[in-house]
Amino acid sequence: MKITRHRLMLALISLAFGVAFYKASVIPEPAAFQWPAMELEQGNGAAQISSRFVSSSQNISTHAASLIELSDGRIRAFWFAGSREGAEDVEIRTAVLDPASNKWGNETAIADRHSTQQSLLRFVKKIGNPVPARLGDGTLQLFYVTVSVGGWAGSSITFMTSDDDGETWSPARRLVTSPFINISTLVKGTPFKYADGSLGLPVYHEFLGKFSELLRIAPGGDIIDKQRLSDGKLGIQPVILIKNPEQAMILMRHVGPAPKRVIAATTVNAGKRWNDPEKTELANPDAAITGVARTDGRLLVALNDTESNREVLSLVASNDGGASWQKVYTLEDQRSQTPSPASYIITAALLARETDNSILNPALFANTALDNQCSGEHCRFEFSYPYMIQAHNGEFHLVYTWNRSFIKHVRFTRAWLDQRMKANQHAQLD
Amino acid sequence: MPNLTDLTGLASSASAIITALAMIPAVAQLPNKHLSATLSAAFVLVLLPFGELPLAGYLRGVTGDLSITTMVLLWHVLLKTSKLFVIDVQQRNELMMTVAGVALIFYPFALGISLEDPYRTGYGNPLLIVTLLVVALVATFRKSTLIALCTTLAVLAWSIGWYESTNLWDYLIDPFISIYAIWIFIAAKLKSRFSVSKQ
Repeated sequence: MKITRHRLMLALISLAFGVAFYKASVIPEPAAFQWPAMELEQGNGAAQISSRFVSSSQNISTHAASLIELSDGRIRAFWFAGSREGAEDVEIRTAVLDPASNKWGNETAIADRHSTQQSLLRFVKKIGNPVPARLGDGTLQLFYVTVSVGGWAGSSITFMTSDDDGETWSPARRLVTSPFINISTLVKGTPFKYADGSLGLPVYHEFLGKFSELLRIAPGGDIIDKQRLSDGKLGIQPVILIKNPEQAMILMRHVGPAPKRVIAATTVNAGKRWNDPEKTELANPDAAITGVARTDGRLLVALNDTESNREVLSLVASNDGGASWQKVYTLEDQRSQTPSPASYIITAALLARETDNSILNPALFANTALDNQCSGEHCRFEFSYPYMIQAHNGEFHLVYTWNRSFIKHVRFTRAWLDQRMKANQHAQLD
Repeated sequence: MPNLTDLTGLASSASAIITALAMIPAVAQLPNKHLSATLSAAFVLVLLPFGELPLAGYLRGVTGDLSITTMVLLWHVLLKTSKLFVIDVQQRNELMMTVAGVALIFYPFALGISLEDPYRTGYGNPLLIVTLLVVALVATFRKSTLIALCTTLAVLAWSIGWYESTNLWDYLIDPFISIYAIWIFIAAKLKSRFSVSKQ
């Protein structure tokens, strides 16, 4: 019998769509949030807060730190550093905190644009924004952004995995998240887990629009869903605060018209539907935020809580699921300071000493800050890009960029936080 | 050891490079045997490391992996002289009209014009697959073989994980074929308007 082109086409259609329907049928259904995210150890301990510098390299630009707890209770930090943000020599670096001694180990580089492009088999111009996640099988996954053409709006997300808590890493792989030559998806917010073991990764776009999205990633690394959280130019760098298996709030960095406020969206059905994003009462100068939902339902957020600069960094909390907020603690406040280089270096040295009184030469830290933050006779302070986690022992760890020069770590206990929240129960936002 | 999806992605970029080469008049005028040998050699050459990456890797960094629809059209250009793969103009125009229409609706929404994101349906939404099945069947029975072929090969490639993308839309269209299709559409409109005004 003569096989016609028509019959061949029908056979090909049967094969292709048969396999496609099978593939679609095995994609996991939507799942509830994993809650609580971890089982916290009992006990509250003493009310303590301490700070340290995570990074130690002088005379470079350093930014965008993130954290993850290792299986033995140590804390690993990631950040990017190089001659300047976006430079070709930028590396993803890491260091580990020994909680017992409260000391950070030496920083090491784990990825640069050369290693990344050789793994990805495509040209890579610059890298940035590392964000770690732990998968259900214990594997660490490190997401970071790579750019081949243009600025950060040309970013795509790349990831590596580690089976030994970050000592060694697999070759980099690419996530495809956008239909327009896969550009303009960036990562900053803390990943979270769904009850079925899949990973939620908050991401954002910065191409024609500036908006937030949520990726759902299967344990093997394949994206299985993507949800849009905002549209147009409204909010980026989403952070998810999971209140229970069905309810969560997403906070976003403000990028829209005044008044400059943190943008929020909520869900009551595990993200099957997010309500339309709206402004909160929290001021935000178009700067990154971070947050943790406590198991008792209280929310804790670190952010630059002014409308115009990144010179103030605060901890704020909500006892009513995000309806209202109180300031808990001011981490940094150098507002209204437009110092000359001479006074900047004095203040920066004092701040470095306050951060870690064991450092021998705070002037070195101040000098690096001076290089990064002064232009001519004008200098400015910057405390930005906070990233916070809660460890199994209940302690909170917060890292942020200190004057674009170092990564600062602040560690505090539940007892300290409870004390502050009680003391500031009726405190107002600035 | 590269992943299979890196090899297929590099092959898509290599195909674009050698198609561009094949369209250079001096190359296009070569005798068939010489043309095949030249393009085959060029295909291998652009996949060999040049500095840190193969030449195809530099292009891939900029373009990403090309859609199956683009690949079908690129290989049509490459195989045209061999008469192995012949597409008539009407079939090509039907495909271009379809791609242009889809792209004009798809990209604004996929790039953030609203909270609705059609790209999301590419992660295995059964409704999208059923729609594509209907498109493929209707195109087959209407003898629009090129639309049926591109749709079916794209669905098959997505099903077997041909590229690193897990989204079906990345197999169906890309910005390059979309811009080309929209240009063809606009050019045809301008041409018909111009010829009407001349009458």
